[in-house]
Amino acid sequence: MLTVVLWGMIGAFLIPIYQMTRRGDIWETMLALSSVATKSSLIMLLVAVMRDDWMMGLVGVITLAVGNAGFMLLAHLLRRMAQTGR
Amino acid sequence: MTSETLVLTALLPLSAGLLVLQTNPYRALVVRGILGSVAALVYALLGAADVALTEALVGTLLAVILYAVAVRSSLVVRLGVVTADLEQRGKELQTLMTELRRVLGQQHLLVEWVTYAEPADLAQGLAQQEVHVICTCSEPMGIHTTTPILRLYEILQREWTIPMTVDYQPLVAATGGH
Repeated sequence: MLTVVLWGMIGAFLIPIYQMTRRGDIWETMLALSSVATKSSLIMLLVAVMRDDWMMGLVGVITLAVGNAGFMLLAHLLRRMAQTGR
Repeated sequence: MTSETLVLTALLPLSAGLLVLQTNPYRALVVRGILGSVAALVYALLGAADVALTEALVGTLLAVILYAVAVRSSLVVRLGVVTADLEQRGKELQTLMTELRRVLGQQHLLVEWVTYAEPADLAQGLAQQEVHVICTCSEPMGIHTTTPILRLYEILQREWTIPMTVDYQPLVAATGGH
């Protein structure tokens, strides 16, 4: 049962990876980054439950909680650059 | 190794290859963040929880922050002008600035103003490499642009569309790279 859920999550994980390969707006790539960051943490949590491995679950929780802080700085930087009229 | 782990592990060289192919430095930073997330996931799946945590916190977060600061502060062209010129010929200089941003934006460079009170300060600023390009409005018509950087001069010569003169003036006592 959980293996089916994992395969579904892997399929969903491929969507932002595909989006990353396309050359669109840079904000679309940022969306792909946030999507990948969250999905990788969730896959870690699911596999942790499947294997009953709490060390991996802890890594998933910490990544989910604090792994996205660099995203804020990047978004701020890109917004400032858009304002200066590049 | 289970087939799920195999599929997720295959994403690591895929995203690394995509990162190498990026030409825009800011987009490369974003893709670096994605690569870090995928790497942390793969490390955790293969049983190295400590490596995964280090990759997620240091590899992704710190590397992205440090490189964002480095790219933002180094990929900038500073344009020196005299304050009086900016007040009298503001519209022409603004046109020049828009054109510079268009031309240098193709090379992923930002352009910033640096204002000086006197023309002598402007010349000294260029000699001391405080600015990369200066604009002078000595004659009533036209703006004269001078740069001591040969690569910048070549780009401006090639891409320039508005009628303004660009000059290459190498530094007399160059004391290092740009």
